[in-house]
Amino acid sequence: MGKTLRTRATPGLAGSLLGGMALFVAFPHAHAAAPATNVENGRYLARAADCEVCHTAEGGTPYAGGRAFSLPGVGVMYAPNITPDKTAGIGAWTDQQFVDAVRKGVSPGWKHLYPAMPYPAYARMSVAQVRDIRAYLATLAPSPQKTPENALRFPFSVRGLMVFWNLLNGPAATYADDPGKPAEWNRGRYLVEGPGHCGDCHTPRTATFGLDNSHALGGNVVNGWRAYNLTSDRQSGLGAWSDEDLARYLATGHADGHGTAAGDMADVVGHSLRYLSVQDIHAMVVYLRGLPPYRTAADMVEHTTPPAGDAALPQTTRGARLYAATCAGCHMPDGAGRQSSFGTITGARSLGADNGRNLVRILVQGSGMQTTTGVQVMPHFVGGGLSARDLADIASFVMTHFTTATPQDMEQRVRNAQQAAKP
Amino acid sequence: MPSLNINGQDHLVDVDPDTPLLWVLRDVLGLNATKFGCGIAQCGACTVHMDGRAVRACNLPVGLIGAGRISTLEGLDPADPVAKAVQAAWVALDVVQCGYCQPGQVMAAIALLRAVPHPTDEQIDSAMSANLCRCGTYMRIRAAIHHAAGALA
Repeated sequence: MGKTLRTRATPGLAGSLLGGMALFVAFPHAHAAAPATNVENGRYLARAADCEVCHTAEGGTPYAGGRAFSLPGVGVMYAPNITPDKTAGIGAWTDQQFVDAVRKGVSPGWKHLYPAMPYPAYARMSVAQVRDIRAYLATLAPSPQKTPENALRFPFSVRGLMVFWNLLNGPAATYADDPGKPAEWNRGRYLVEGPGHCGDCHTPRTATFGLDNSHALGGNVVNGWRAYNLTSDRQSGLGAWSDEDLARYLATGHADGHGTAAGDMADVVGHSLRYLSVQDIHAMVVYLRGLPPYRTAADMVEHTTPPAGDAALPQTTRGARLYAATCAGCHMPDGAGRQSSFGTITGARSLGADNGRNLVRILVQGSGMQTTTGVQVMPHFVGGGLSARDLADIASFVMTHFTTATPQDMEQRVRNAQQAAKP
Repeated sequence: MPSLNINGQDHLVDVDPDTPLLWVLRDVLGLNATKFGCGIAQCGACTVHMDGRAVRACNLPVGLIGAGRISTLEGLDPADPVAKAVQAAWVALDVVQCGYCQPGQVMAAIALLRAVPHPTDEQIDSAMSANLCRCGTYMRIRAAIHHAAGALA
């Protein structure tokens, strides 16, 4: 790794927030102050950028790569090993090569990266910030794990095509703060659009798979899940959330009245957002609140207020009986968590939005999230004697019991999700 | 170290906060009436009460209990009319077959009768459906709950 001490003209990206944290780490070992600061800064940024989730195979060594990304019609890509191993990882790269890969999508030998790596967003980070991430990654144990070859169809297999894609959709760059906006808004914009790369899931795509920034953060479908509208529209976006609820959801993955993060968002909270400082979460909230409202039909949902108490579930439909037997053990008849607030689903968008898209995904795939009180798990309900029709009936009951949605063709939706979940 | 109030007594237990309550009950405190069934809150064998509400001990991390008061089958007060009526009904109707799920069934029935003193069949099904019995004693369980409700009238 580059052990060079660097002087920086600016106090670094994380500004005063991180400054405090870094000082704690740096001063007990004054002789190593500068590198330690960079490493700590890099660790924080690597978390803010959620590098670990994509660069780790399921159950694998962190940062040793191997997680598969399947794109229908395009093929399968594997996230590479970014531990400091000299051959399997990035140990032989120079700092400049690392910076170019993260900010421009070009790795050594002019090998163009595919934009599954969110380099257009990471380009918002400064060169010094990306070097700090490198400094942190260099402290990891090298892993000799080889990354599987991508299996992409022609023409997607031709990396050189990315040159043209980049002309259309490609990396922006760091941009100056908007002096007309408060510092926390600018910090929030940086976190959301830069390392957080929220738009990679939450912004709809153009015909060439670029981000459609005319509808920035207006919601999108990713891996079969709905990444919800984050604009300030009251009914389909975050407009009706309080600042406190939004901050709590980002920091813990749950806010009463809005449910619990699931699927990829559970990974984002568990590996990234929950490590951010209170001030940074607040900055993200400030920025998200300022997004102009944009209404999306898929994210609309109107909740009802079902009666509470174990004896309150009607037993007149298959779905209701199945809910009593399989769901109420954790979620109660009114959606309150029986033993943990993470089980409180009251008010969650997934209960009814987009014809139960995420609801069905959670039933079929389950979800798990790292929290300060251990992993919170929603088990999947495939097998165990429940048929596709059973799951469809449960989903239909949930949609009509907790929301005013009208379920359509749920059994087909369950079968599609089961098909997509097969390895 | 979490402090737990179980059957009216405070216990300091040396476990991680993400340890499920069931492990503390059985392995740390030796309260073996509460059974392990599925481990994912699907079968109800581990049902206990937290502040009077039926909860699944297998899926309740002790770190989330805080000041909640836990009661298990061992802690039922013989003078408590609901507990007494349910246990008497269970004996009178000979509900139990193999018995493994019954501690959970009894705890769920008591919680139901405290909330709804005279439940209908539908209310019993709603509250008891998440307590599985592989021997299939469901009809006797339902009858025993009606029997206990009648005795409490």
